[in-house]
Order: sequence, then C-alpha cells, then structure tokens
Amino acid sequence: MTIEFALYCILNTLFVIGISPLFVSMIKKVKAWTQGRQGPPIFQTYLTLTKLLRKEVIYSPYSSRIMRVTPYVNIAAILVAALFVPLVYVTTPDGGIGNIILFLYLLVLARFFMALSGLDAGSSFGGMGSSREMSIAAVIEPTTIIVFAALAFVFKSLNIFDMVLISAASATPVTPTLILIGISLFTILIVETARIPIDNPETHLELTMIHEGMVLEQSGGNLALMELSAAIKQTLLMALVINLIFPVGMATTLSLAAIIIAMGLFAIKGALLALIIGLFESSMAKMRFFRLPSLFMMAFFFSTLVIIIEVFT
Amino acid sequence: MSDLIFTLVVAILLLGTIVPLLGVGREVRITRYISLVSTILASILLTCLSAGILFSGTTLAFNLFQPFPSFPIIILIDRLAAFFLVIIGTVTACVAVYSIGYLEHMEGLERRNLLCACLNLFILAMTLVVASATTTSFFFFWELMALSSFFLVMYDYTGHETHKAGIFYFVMTHLSTLFVLFGFIALYTASGSFAVGPVHSPDRLLITITFLLLFVGFSIKAGIIPFHKWLPYAHPASPSPVSALMSAVMLKVAVYGLLRFIFTVLSPDLWWGVLILLAGIASATLGVIYALKEHDVKGMLAYSSIENIGIIFVGIGLYVIFTCTNLPLLATISLLGALFHSLNHALFKSLLFLTAGSVVHVTHTRDIEKMGGLARRMPYTSALFFIGAIAIAALPPLNGFASELLIFIAFFQSVAIVDPLMKVFLFICLALFALTSALSAACFVKAFGSIFLAQPRSRASSEAQETGMLMIAGPVLLAAACIVLGIFAFQVLSYAGYSLPVPDMFLISILLLFMAALTYVIFYVTASHDVRISETWGCGARFQPSSTEYTGHGFSEPIVTIFSAVYRTKKTSKKMYFDQSECIFKEGTADIRLIKFFEEYLYLPIARSSCAAAARIARLQNGCLDTYILYVFVTVIAIILFLGWSA
Repeated sequence: MTIEFALYCILNTLFVIGISPLFVSMIKKVKAWTQGRQGPPIFQTYLTLTKLLRKEVIYSPYSSRIMRVTPYVNIAAILVAALFVPLVYVTTPDGGIGNIILFLYLLVLARFFMALSGLDAGSSFGGMGSSREMSIAAVIEPTTIIVFAALAFVFKSLNIFDMVLISAASATPVTPTLILIGISLFTILIVETARIPIDNPETHLELTMIHEGMVLEQSGGNLALMELSAAIKQTLLMALVINLIFPVGMATTLSLAAIIIAMGLFAIKGALLALIIGLFESSMAKMRFFRLPSLFMMAFFFSTLVIIIEVFT
Repeated sequence: MSDLIFTLVVAILLLGTIVPLLGVGREVRITRYISLVSTILASILLTCLSAGILFSGTTLAFNLFQPFPSFPIIILIDRLAAFFLVIIGTVTACVAVYSIGYLEHMEGLERRNLLCACLNLFILAMTLVVASATTTSFFFFWELMALSSFFLVMYDYTGHETHKAGIFYFVMTHLSTLFVLFGFIALYTASGSFAVGPVHSPDRLLITITFLLLFVGFSIKAGIIPFHKWLPYAHPASPSPVSALMSAVMLKVAVYGLLRFIFTVLSPDLWWGVLILLAGIASATLGVIYALKEHDVKGMLAYSSIENIGIIFVGIGLYVIFTCTNLPLLATISLLGALFHSLNHALFKSLLFLTAGSVVHVTHTRDIEKMGGLARRMPYTSALFFIGAIAIAALPPLNGFASELLIFIAFFQSVAIVDPLMKVFLFICLALFALTSALSAACFVKAFGSIFLAQPRSRASSEAQETGMLMIAGPVLLAAACIVLGIFAFQVLSYAGYSLPVPDMFLISILLLFMAALTYVIFYVTASHDVRISETWGCGARFQPSSTEYTGHGFSEPIVTIFSAVYRTKKTSKKMYFDQSECIFKEGTADIRLIKFFEEYLYLPIARSSCAAAARIARLQNGCLDTYILYVFVTVIAIILFLGWSA
C-alpha cells in the first residue's frame, strides 16, 4: 500500500464520518420546511450522537453476544465500505479496494448482523423489523446488481475508483445512459436508506418501521454507532450518485487546495441531493408493505431496459 | 510411492469396513472406535496425497487391482480428481471426529457398528468413483456409493418417515444410475473403449445423446431441480453425520462426474452451457425460496444444498459459454468459481449439518419453532453454526463469498461476449443469481435467529446443554477451514497457479479488524462505561413470554407472501353474513392449501403412469404353465426369424 493510498484512506474516512450527520440533519430540515415547521438545528445529529455516547448501555437479559458485537461489526463493515467510494479525492485503486461487488457485500454484512441483533432480544418489534428488512433487501437485490453491472458495463471496469476516474476525466460525463442509471441509483438510495415510500425513518410505530425496529433494542453508545453507520451508508450511496454522474471538481491530485475545493463542492452537491431526497420524501405517502415488490419490479424492469438499450446500440 | 499411499488408503478403509462387522450383534465399542479412527487416518492420508498432486500438477496412474481379466480397476488421479479427493478427505476426517462423539448418543445399539461399516464403505466408494480411469469401474463404484448411502439413510428403519425417505432415495438414485449407465453405453458406442478419455467421434448426434443422458444422470444425483425431491426427504431422515457426508461430499461426486465426462471426455457446445446455466439458476433460485419456507432445520439445509449445487452449475454453465465464445480468462474464472464453491460448500454445509445435528440431539426436535435461546446455553455450537451461516450467506470475508465473488466477476464481465442476446440472457441470470444470494442471507438470519437467539420456546430447549468435546472438535476444524479459505482465497489461488484480478480478502479482513479495534478504542476512551442488564421495553407488558417472539414462520412470512406464486399456496375463504350489506359476520371457512408442485405435477403422474403400465404388463403373468410355454415358443421363433433376417 503506497503512502498516497494510505493518505487517501485516512482522508476519506475522516471526511465521511464528519459530513454524514450533516446530510441526515439536512434531509430532516428540508422535510420540516415542507411541513411548515422550523425543524431541528443543522448540527442536531452531531449533538444527538455525543449525547448518546454519554448514556449507559442497556442489554436485555435474553440477549446474547450478537447484540454486543453488532455495533462494532456494523461500523467496521461500513467504514471499510467507505474506503471503496472516493468522496473528494480519487487515486489509483490498490489491493482490490473499490471492487463494486465487494462494496455491496460489505453493506450486506452490516445488514446481516443488524437483522440478527433485531431478533436477539426476543422483542416482536425487532423481529418484525429484521424480517421486513431482509425481505426488502432480497427483493431489491436484483435491481441493485443490475444497476451495478450496468455501471461496470458503461465504465468497462469493476472498480469504483476507475469509474470515478473515467467519469471525472471525460469532458461531458453526463450521457443519457448515465442519467437513466442515475434514476435507478436514486431508487436504490431510497430503498437502502429506508426512506419513504419504503420505510418511514421518523416514526416509531410498529406498522411503519423497518430500520428503526431493528435498532429499537440498541441504546447508549451502541445506538450512536448504529445511527452513525446508517448515516455513513447514506452518504456513501449519495456519493455514488454524485461522483459518477456529476463528478465536477473531484480532486485527482493530492494538493490541499484541490481537496478543500472538492470538499466544498461535495458538500454543496450533497446538500442539493439532500434537498431532492427531502422533497421526494415529502411528496409521497408511505406504501403498503406488500405493494413494495411491484415498485421494485418496476425499478428492475427499468434498469434492465437501460442495459438492453445499451447492449443493442 | 504415491500409488502405495493410495493403496494404503483403500486398505485402511476396507479395514474400517470389516472390523465393525465383526462386532455386529454385540455391543462392542472398541470396533466402532477402530473403524472411525481408521476413517480419520485414511482421510488424512488421502488429503495429503491429493493435495500434493493438486499443487504439484503431476498425474498418478496405476493398476490397483484386477478381479477379472477384462475388468481392471485402474486409478487415474489428475488435478481435477485430486481436487475432489481433497474435498472427500477433509470433510470425511472432520465428520469422523464428530461421529465418534455422536454415535455414542444414538439409538440402536448393535446397528451403530453397522453404521460405521457402511460409512467406511461409502467413503471408499466415493474415493474410487473419483479415482476411476474406466467407465466400468466408475459405474461399479457409483452403484456401490448409491447402495451404501441407501443403508445409511435407512439407519432408523423403524420410523415411518425414514421408510418413505429411504424408498424415495432408492428409486431416485437408481434412476440416476440408469441414466448414467445408458450414457456410458452411448459413450462406448461412440468411442469403442471403456477408458475415460477424450472422444473423437464424427457422430455429433451420438455425442449429444451421451451428454443429455449423463447430464440427467448426474443432475438427479446432484439434486438439480426438478430432480431434487429426494434431498429434502433423505437428509432429515438420516443421522446427522450421514446427511453431512451426503450433502457435502456425495453431491460433489456427481458434480465431478459432470465435469469429468462433459469437459474432458466430450467436447461441449454452446447450448450445453446454456442448458447447464438454466438448470443451475433454476435450482439456485427455487432451492433457496423453498429453503426459506422450511421449518425443519435439516430440511432447510437440504434445500440450501440444492441452491448451492445450483450455484456450482451456474459456474460450470458460464465456463462452457465462455469457452465456446473464446474468452479463456473468464472461462477460467467461472470454472475456478464453480470448483472453489464445491469445496466451500462441502466445508460449510457439513459444518452446518453437524452443528444442527448437535442441536437436534440436545432439543430432540428438528422444528426450529421449538428451539430458541440456545446461543446462551450452547455457546460453542452456536458460534460454529454462526460461522457456517456467515459463510453460506456469502458474506465477506469468509469462503462462501470468495467463491461467489468469482462467479459474480465472471458475470459482470460477460459484456465481452459479442452476441447481444446472450448478453441480455446472462444479465437476467445475474439478477436471479443476486436474488439467490440475498435470499440465502435472509434464510440464515431466520435460521440462526430462530434456533439460537431470544428466549427458548420449548422445555427441551430451555434445558439444553453444550455437547461433548468431540462433537465440537470436528466442526471446529471445518469452521477454521472456512475462515482460512475465505481470508486467504487470493493467496491460495495464486499458490495453485491462478493469479486472477480478484480483491485480496486478507487486506479487507485486516481493514475490518482494524476499523473495529479503532472504534473500540475510541469508544473506550470517550463513551460511558455504564452497562445495565435490564428488561427492555415490551410495549408495557410486565414480562415477555417467549410466545410473543417473532417466530421463524413470522420471519419468512413477507417473503412467502411476495413469492406466493412460486409456492403455489392457495388461500380460499368463504364468509357468510347476517345482513345484506355484509357487516355482521356469521360464519365462514378458510382454507390454506400447500401444493407440493413437483410431486403433484411431475413425480406422481410419472409414478401413476408407470404403475398403470406395469399393471397392464402384469396381465402377461397369469400363472398358467401353458401360457409360459407359449411365451417361450414365441420367443424362440422370434429369435430364429430375427437371426435369419440379419444373416
């Protein structure tokens, strides 16, 4: 591993941890505005996380070691996955980091542990959340893989680094195919981050919650870790959309000025995407759970169609 | 030297077969021990020998034994055979260690010696099938394998369920033997020799027929849908070490047969690849969908075997397709994916079957709804099952992911194929393949969650205790192999001579550990250390009975509903009301009917029609001597006429 790559790793990890809670707050803020409310302050998520760190951790007497290791496995898997998506600075990949399939499966690893921890305490909420999460994850998987395969096809590479490099280097990165793939990526973003119309991140009502149901038994610092990893996961998926489709300003050399500019641009682009997500969420009602497969089928046919168009032209 | 070692392996296994037979009828423990220890010894020798052949690339060929002048048993172990012998050796050694502990808890005092004998015979048969250099000895040992495994399945012969499973298995496995036999006859017609070697026959039709016959024969044995029905019957009915061996090793012998005869003997066409890929993807998808619904832990593992064999077939199908479209690198990746997955599946499936066996032994039930809470009561077994579950759910960094990654990479790069229709076809298969792996993750969350987590849901489960040392030692070896092969997959492949563009899982594992450790340290410094063990919120209820937990049925309910078209579940309800506007409910009936699709629409019609045909033919047998003399007379006349005609 070169020094340059090690620097990339440190930079990327710190930046993603730093900026992720901001995007969470931003989406909340946008949703509050559309509802005519003031909304929480923009740094509220940071405060919530630090507050949680000071709280005690409560374990159910029935829970096993799964409950205790899940937060760490979860954050580790998500942080390693974070190395796979260059946010502001892109270099040549090393040792298979950046492989898009591995990226996807690191997210699955985190989800696997999270679903088990939902079942661990024996509460019916957690079980319900796990069951729904795994079902949704299974049904959306074909779409995800088709979109990723389409990306690999368009950029002729399996590595996210190469994709970002190619996209950043080309004069007109936005092609019609990429816009179509972008729509599919947006769908995946909505599903994977458990947002309306799939799941409602705001409620704690048994009828609507999926992701929140699984982390219901987590408390204190462990809950902070789970929340942080969910926020980072959201940022990573947002970064995929941003950096593959609008890679303007991506730093390709390791200079301080370029990186600071890239960080600023990424924050602005992220804020825009957060605005879109917030508006999208506010304009929709949550779907009935068993209606979701038909939504996913549509997303799947759409993505497959993109590939077929690309293949035949 | 190598041939002597191999002969020694055969001799030790024969010893292991004969010694316990001396103890049949009496309760003699020592013969069992000798038998199983010799199994372990033989399998370790076999593993070392074949690993040597595998990595050095030499070929071992010698004449083992010649019972008749025209029937020599010639041994030929090349790299392909050596690879499958490694699978047999490693899994058998671990299963035998487990069995020493497991057998002592089994019912049927004197039958246990018989079980040891059959186990050794079964392993011997599988070893010799893989090592056979002629179709005749291949066939002979194939049949020996079928018969010895039948006796193993029938161990608990008094049970009604076992009875049915045994008969089902017997019929299916002989159907497989029949197709293989016809395939070999066709092969002999094409090549004119019994040797297993490349056939250069101009008659393409004959080659195609041979392929189809052998494909069906090996598919039945491997449990490819729609020939899969024997697995979910036979695996739950047999003792756990036997299910582990059958699922992990015997199915791989069928995969070996397919690889050997289709690629080194016949030269494949493109459409063969498409056929194998279709069979594989259908088995993988349907297998895991059925597995999700299963609540018998061993039945679920059996369906999951169908899924994994499907994945292996997908790899093989891709290999054929890429070979026929001149993409050698992708062909190598997919073949390595298929082979690597064969090894990995053997390891984690035997691990799962053995640990599930321990759980079944402790809780006296195979129904996962009656388990629960075992993680705290059986910490070692649960940890081992957990490793198996991670591996089979294809999660990084364990071995299941390493092999599926190879197949994924081959799929992702299939755009290099020129034919656009083939590209689209492969993309659709890729989507189904992804669905399979996501569903299998859901399946094992459900399995692990229902068996080991939360509160016990039955008395046996709440009184469960950890099993003995040997029943942990065997699975520990398998789990270690799963971890090592996953983390060092890249290095192992490089050592075997294949440097592929795949991610280095060792680096990823280091990173994962590093990140977890870093988080832990930061947490240790910054976060509060207060921990309380207390009842968490249960909707205001004073205490949580285990009956309020989410059960396995409940867990898989969304998936069952989403895929209800596949399960063909029919729900009908009739309601009657007191009033006309249908407000006040009076009475009604509701009915859920589960259709066993393949049984009702495929197996039973065939069985019925063959019974009807048999009844018609049975009319020839009327028991009257004159009629039989007439038959003989007519036959003689027919033979004379036929011979005269052909002369």
